[in-house]
Amino acid sequence: MPLRLSQVDELIRPDHFYLAEGDECYFIGEYSARQGYAYSATNQLIFNLKKKPHLRGTPQWPHKLEAIRTAARQFAKCISAEWLHKATLVPMPPSRVKGDPGYDDRVYRILREIGTLLDGNVDVRELLIQNESIEPFHERGGGRRPTPEEIAENYHLDDTLRNPPPSIIGIFDDVLTTGSHFKGAKLVLEDAFPGTRIVGVFLARRVPETVDVEDLFMNLDG
Amino acid sequence: MDQSLSLGRSISPWLEMGSYEALWKQGWASFKKLAECFREKPDAAPSDLVPRETAEKTAHEALEILRKANVRHFGLRIHKAGEYPERLRDAHYPVELLYYRGWWDLIQTRCVAVVGTRKPTPEGQARAARLVKSLVEDKFTIVSGLAAGIDTIAHRTAIECGARTVGVIGTPLSHSYPAANKHLQEQIAQDYLLISQVPIVRYSQQGWKINRLFFPERNVTMSALTEATIIVEASETSGTLIQARAAIHQERKLFILDNCFKNPELTWPARFESQGAIRVRDYEDIRTNLASTP
Repeated sequence: MPLRLSQVDELIRPDHFYLAEGDECYFIGEYSARQGYAYSATNQLIFNLKKKPHLRGTPQWPHKLEAIRTAARQFAKCISAEWLHKATLVPMPPSRVKGDPGYDDRVYRILREIGTLLDGNVDVRELLIQNESIEPFHERGGGRRPTPEEIAENYHLDDTLRNPPPSIIGIFDDVLTTGSHFKGAKLVLEDAFPGTRIVGVFLARRVPETVDVEDLFMNLDG
Repeated sequence: MDQSLSLGRSISPWLEMGSYEALWKQGWASFKKLAECFREKPDAAPSDLVPRETAEKTAHEALEILRKANVRHFGLRIHKAGEYPERLRDAHYPVELLYYRGWWDLIQTRCVAVVGTRKPTPEGQARAARLVKSLVEDKFTIVSGLAAGIDTIAHRTAIECGARTVGVIGTPLSHSYPAANKHLQEQIAQDYLLISQVPIVRYSQQGWKINRLFFPERNVTMSALTEATIIVEASETSGTLIQARAAIHQERKLFILDNCFKNPELTWPARFESQGAIRVRDYEDIRTNLASTP
């Protein structure tokens, strides 16, 4: 039985602080790891996807590449080919900018892989560029997480990719947490393409009371 | 047109919950009838069978009952959506929707059900505790039904050993039975995993005599969710035997402790052994037989 996407609806929207009724978001699985362990297929997939770039060349790296392919296959199976052909697929910018040793374009690679699976006929555009690298929350020693407006201020649109104007925009990311990054990205794209439908598509949503995947890494690394 | 172009058929947890609850409010509904209904319409989700307005109204009713019972966080597992355990389809009448509280990830660990009578003998109690300790040493997650007797010992021993446990209950998440296990149920929901397939609204609208029929039904689900069932002690009429039948039907391993065979009043141990159940003289019988399964 092929999997279907799930909608972020009124039952689960409160789990994602920044999402409001007008935000159209979908996800495939749920990220639910706790206590430093990840048993489920989804948790393992996220865990492998988030393996850090400094692991390139180690035996762990092939797991990341396989996770990218698996994620692409899952998206391609759950989302209608017609939609994937019509929409412009935009990766959520990574937290580190290009040139930073921590730069990780895994979401962009997933989208390109979807394109390969659909015979290349997919419009993937890195429309959003992050101005400055952001330290992951746990590495900043806690404190306040940025709001969507602050996140938007750190993004700019790549004007060279503006045309042709998209008819639908799908912002893709691996895990939906508070929704702040989606909302920040949406603010910038709404400004650039007024009236265009913008949809968030996630591999998994994080359910309440689970550990942050970055913290999970810290625990496992330690 | 692109403004409304669908990404494909998707699942709204809110509507599916309301639709499942609404289907159950109809007099004809049972796990058997609902499973037959979805078998005839393999592509349908509960929301395909219920008007949207009815689904939303019933979802509100269910949510209100959960809120009154102080259930703040709960999750759903819906057939055709992510994280639904495909193992459930091995049940004779598979459920389309499950409620849960806690750490869903546990269901993907190696799970073994330890079940038995609500009124165990002192020897049975000791055997259950010993068995759970051995299983825990072998890193198994202990699944049981939160009933009195063997179930309670199974959960408590697992927790005392610092291991993982899963409760599959015969009431909705809003209720617990027996009352003495209310605290244990809450502990399992908070720190481990609590699963219920019982419809919340229907349960609240009918009496105990009918609601008690939900108990044996959860045993079928418990078997489907686990790789093996181990029976510690059970009478000829015990609900535990429903799980034994389910385990055989679902091709799960069924272990029966030796003492059950030695009781001359019981005919079921030999019957299930002839159908493939494994007689456990020693814990090694369990260890060896489980070693070969993934």
